[in-house]
Amino acid sequence: MKLLNTIKEFAHLNPNAKAYISPAEEVTYAELWERSERMADYLLKQNLKKQSPILVYGHMEPAMIISFLGCVKAGHPYIPVDISIPIERIVKIIDSAQTELVINNSEKPLVINQTTVKVADYEDVLAQQGIEEPITPSNWVRDDDNFYIIFTSGSTGNPKGVQISANNLQSFVNWMTEDFPINGGLRFLNQAPYSFDLSVMDIYPALATGGCIFAITKEMIARPKLLFEALAKSNTQVWTSTPSFAQMCLMDPSFNQELLAELSVFLFCGEILPVSVCRQLMERFPKAKIYNTYGPTEATVAITSIEVTAELLDKHQTLPIGRPKRDTRILLLDENGAEVSSGEKGEMIIVGPGVSKGYLGQKELTEKAFFQYSNEQAYRTGDAGYCDEDGLLFYKGRIDFQIKLHGYRMELEEIEYHIAKSQYVKSAVVIPVYQDEKIEYLLAAIVPNQHGFEKEYQLTSAIKKELGELIPAYMIPRKFTYHDELPITANGKLDRKKIKELVLQ
Amino acid sequence: MDFKQEVINLLVEICQDDVVKENPDIDLFESGLLDSFGTVELLVQVEDRFGITVPITEFDRDTWNTPNNIAMQLADRK
Repeated sequence: MKLLNTIKEFAHLNPNAKAYISPAEEVTYAELWERSERMADYLLKQNLKKQSPILVYGHMEPAMIISFLGCVKAGHPYIPVDISIPIERIVKIIDSAQTELVINNSEKPLVINQTTVKVADYEDVLAQQGIEEPITPSNWVRDDDNFYIIFTSGSTGNPKGVQISANNLQSFVNWMTEDFPINGGLRFLNQAPYSFDLSVMDIYPALATGGCIFAITKEMIARPKLLFEALAKSNTQVWTSTPSFAQMCLMDPSFNQELLAELSVFLFCGEILPVSVCRQLMERFPKAKIYNTYGPTEATVAITSIEVTAELLDKHQTLPIGRPKRDTRILLLDENGAEVSSGEKGEMIIVGPGVSKGYLGQKELTEKAFFQYSNEQAYRTGDAGYCDEDGLLFYKGRIDFQIKLHGYRMELEEIEYHIAKSQYVKSAVVIPVYQDEKIEYLLAAIVPNQHGFEKEYQLTSAIKKELGELIPAYMIPRKFTYHDELPITANGKLDRKKIKELVLQ
Repeated sequence: MDFKQEVINLLVEICQDDVVKENPDIDLFESGLLDSFGTVELLVQVEDRFGITVPITEFDRDTWNTPNNIAMQLADRK
């Protein structure tokens, strides 16, 4: 695979160039390559099923990237799982992917009550391995083999694994390095945890261009003082984050070109990019270019882009998501599957080499969302869009119950499923509460079971505590309201619209 | 209404939970009532309503952890 060959070349040409900086450790290209060789060597000796996915667990340690490369060099795709994911969800992922091995990079013991899976600690794996023969590229994942599998929220209550192949990723990396000014060994900021594919937007473009990844940890995000100290010494040149994260940084007056003197590119993905954020960034970072991008995990991170200029901001109240990358088309289809007439809204269908082969082990879900369109793989995004007279695409919301909150994608039905399982809950509906065009927080409207709590807030903490063991913190609604009953539609379904009116009045 | 009560009312709005009023010594971060994004909202509202600007780098979770402590920190900056 071209990407792996490129990284290998950098490791030989510039062995001492830094590849990754975390608060605890820095690694060079030579170290990245050599350690991932040892990891691959270990994996090849484990007698794993061919191409079986390996779960890689941890946070922002260089060991994560070393493990990712180790897996793909040994011919196995990896499943990145951040420490923010609760154990019960990890078990679901292991079951769904039939994972045989977990690599734990977290430096804390990871106990999984599941007999079939083996947990190997990163330190132990590397400590046992001497340097052996180089791993031959014939072992590497290639072409249509899976490179990584990222699990996203599924509406049935189970996460689903999106399979991204070596070809899918190569198509993405080619586009990033050709269409964005990010070449030449730059310093890339990584804000997103690795279980979120926004992180792919900096990891592989950085490594494909001899650049270096500067990791932002959750401790820094929790303590902005630490974050700003880290930013000040980061020498960041390419910034990749959700708009929400940039918005948080803008809360501090010191977030400007003085703090990040060399910053030249902002890349945004994951949620709607507000005009106000762009205006502030332009004022504070006059030397930097800003790009808005769009794409679902199923089409490998992002597939459209546009540079946000002052003219664009003057012209639009909602920013366009731009134009698709060269090798990809977007069709706009109506409910009957026919292309809409120009200027009209339709479901965005992505066609091209970045589109995943489907959800791991989920034939039915895959057939619903993926299909072949004139001999190319196509994906129904569930996102509505339209194209203006200049050929620019605009995002116009969802056609189902999937939402984005601060960049995190989730299905309202999955959250409802887990709330309804609580011993205290009879039924529940989750409502996104909007401010302007952005979701500010989630609200759970609940019909409670009998309970012994004196106050509603005590009941709320009890339910939230149960949820904390099942789903990541960002999926837990902020507000809980309690009702004797919830309105239902004529078809006997909970009436979301009426419930929304009821709770927001 | 005194300043402390106003701050607590604001926190009730942001955390969307009356526990803030009932137990003003609750740790908002440990209990999951406030996160980084909630903090941003809080600081925006503090600036709008009270005219107090708190750079996010000064917002330390150790000293801005409970409704009472946040009210105290803000009172110091009034």
